[in-house]
Amino acid sequence: MTDATAEGPLTAETVASRPATIPAWQVMVALIRREFWEHRALWTAPLVTGALMVLSTLLVHMGNNRWGTFPVFVGPGSASADPHALGVMISSARQIGVSMPLYLAAVVTLFFYLLSSLYDERKDRSILFWKSLPVSDTATVLSKLLVALVVVPLGVFVAAIVTDMLQRWIWDIRYAMGLVGGPEFVWDAMAWVKVEAFMLLVVTLAVLWYAPIAAYLMVISAFARRNAFLWAVLPPVILTVVERIAFGTRYVNDLLLYRLGGVWYDLWNNFRGHGVPGSPFWKQHTYPSVFDVVSFRDLFMNVDLWLGLIVAAALIYATIRTRRYRDDT
Amino acid sequence: MTTMIEARGLTKSFGAKRALDGVTFTVAPGRIVGLIGPNGAGKTTALKALLGLTSFEGQLQVMGRDPRAQRDELMRDVCFIADVAVLPRWLRVNQAIEFVASVHPRFDRARAEGFLSKTDIRPRSRVRELSKGMVTQLHLALILAIDARLLVLDEPTLGLDLLYRRQFYDTLLNDYFTAERTILLTTHQVEEIENLLSDVLFINHGRVTLDSSVEALGQRYAQLTVGADQVAHARLLKPFFEREIFGRTVMLFEGRSPQELGRLGELRTPSIADLFVAKMQGAAA
Repeated sequence: MTDATAEGPLTAETVASRPATIPAWQVMVALIRREFWEHRALWTAPLVTGALMVLSTLLVHMGNNRWGTFPVFVGPGSASADPHALGVMISSARQIGVSMPLYLAAVVTLFFYLLSSLYDERKDRSILFWKSLPVSDTATVLSKLLVALVVVPLGVFVAAIVTDMLQRWIWDIRYAMGLVGGPEFVWDAMAWVKVEAFMLLVVTLAVLWYAPIAAYLMVISAFARRNAFLWAVLPPVILTVVERIAFGTRYVNDLLLYRLGGVWYDLWNNFRGHGVPGSPFWKQHTYPSVFDVVSFRDLFMNVDLWLGLIVAAALIYATIRTRRYRDDT
Repeated sequence: MTTMIEARGLTKSFGAKRALDGVTFTVAPGRIVGLIGPNGAGKTTALKALLGLTSFEGQLQVMGRDPRAQRDELMRDVCFIADVAVLPRWLRVNQAIEFVASVHPRFDRARAEGFLSKTDIRPRSRVRELSKGMVTQLHLALILAIDARLLVLDEPTLGLDLLYRRQFYDTLLNDYFTAERTILLTTHQVEEIENLLSDVLFINHGRVTLDSSVEALGQRYAQLTVGADQVAHARLLKPFFEREIFGRTVMLFEGRSPQELGRLGELRTPSIADLFVAKMQGAAA
C-alpha cells in the first residue's frame, strides 16, 4: 500500500465501487470472532482441560486389569460373559467420562462469559465504539447467545472427540507394547459413533434446557449497573428465603432446582425406563448402546423444555431492548 | 437532502437538572459545525440524542431519519467518536481493523492502515499497551477511514499533543472533508478549530445561545478596542461584554455598524473564542 492511496480523498468512484451492505452472516461471523478475541477463556479453558487430560494419560500408568476389580463387570449374569460387549461398554463409559471435565470447564467459563457479555462493554464504555458501527443491537446480542449456546458447545464436543482419540492412541500404544491389557482394548466404530451421537443429543438437550438461564444471565449483564454476579445470584436466593419465611412454601426453590438439574433427572429416568426396573441396562443389551436405551423423543417433547425456551426468547428480547435503550455511559 | 440535522425543541432532564432545554437548530450538508459550550452545557447529551444513544423529548431528524426508531439504518451513513479512549483494552490494533472492515461496508482498510503507518502504533499491540494519545490516533484512523455522510466528533483530540491535534485537523479538512460530508464536533480548544468551522452553535445551560455561520459572525458581531477617553461613548452603544487589557477596554457589540464603532477605536471581527468567552461570561453575570 502506498501513501498515495492512504492520503487521497475518497472520490465518488471509490465510494460507488464498494458494496452498500455486508451480508448479515458475514457480520455475524465477525461478531462471533470478536467474542473469542475478547474472552479467550472460551476456547482456552476447554482446550487446556483436554490437554491436561491427555498429559495425565501420558504420565499415569495403571497397569493390567484396571477394570478387573470392579465386581459389577464380573458378577454372575453380567456382560462379562461376552468380552467384546464388556470391552465396548467400558470403552464407551470412558468415552463419555473423558468429555465431562471439558464440558464442566465450558459451563463455568460460559457462566462468567454471559455475565460479563454485555456488562464489560458498559463498564469500559467501549459500547460507544461498538455502537458507532452499523451493527444492530439484535445482531450483537444474538452473536453472544450463539457463542454460548452453539459455538462453544459444538467446539467442546469436537475437543472432547480429539481428547478421546489422543487418549485412545496412548493406551493403544501401551497395549501394543504389551504394557496393558484388558477387555476395553477393542475398537468398535459403530459403538463409538453411537456414543458420540448420544453425546450430541444430550448436549443439544442440555443447551435447550439451560437456554433460559443463559438468557437470564444476559439480561442481568445488560441491566446491572455494578456487580452483575450479585445481581444474578442474589435475587433467586432472596426469593427462595423470603418465600420460605413468608409463606412456608418452597415453589421458587423447587422451580430453581428443577431448572438447574431437571434435565439430568429426566435423562436418568428415561435411561433406566427402557430396561427392567432395578437392573442395569447392559444386562438386557449384550451389545451396549446407550443411544438405543434412551428415548430422546420423550425428552425433547417435554413441555417444560419448550416453556423454558419461550421464557428464554422473552429474556433475550428484553436484553436487546436494554442494550438499545439503556444509557449509562 | 437539504438538511442533515433538524432538531426542534430537544429536551432532556436528569432529575431536576435540564441537560437540554428546548434545543432547536438545523445543519445543512457540507458544513463543519462546532458545538461549543462549557462543561455540563448539554453538548454531549445533544450529540448522544442525535446518535440515538439516549432518550429525549422533541423532534429530531438526522438525514431524514428518527435516531430513536431508525438507529440501525442511520449508522450506515453516520459515524461518531462519542469519547476518546473507549476502545476496549483487550482489542489488538489489527483486530480492530479486521472487525471494522468486516462489518462496515464503507470502511477503507488501506486508508486506515495508511493513517496508522504514520504513527508508532504496531499492528499487534493491544489497546491497553498504547499510550492515551495512541489510542486516540487509532480511533481516529478507524473512523476517518469510514466514508460516512455525517461525522460526529465529541472532543476528538482530548489527550493528544498539539502536534498531533494540528495534524488531525489538517487531515480532517484536507483529506476527509468534502462537499457531501457534514462534520459536527465539540472541543474545548476553540482556538484550534476556528479556521476549520463553517458554522458555530453555542450551547449553555441546555439552550442554544448562538447559531450562526462563521461568515455571518463578522457582520453581526464586532470587537472594539477603545482607550480610556472613549469608554463612556462606546458604552452608550451597549456592548454586551467588556474587559480591560493593558489599560484599554475591549468591547463586543452585536448588530452595530462599522461606521458607528470605527470612529471610537480599533475595530475587528471577534474570534470565536472571544465570542464564546463573552457569551458565557455574559450569561453567568
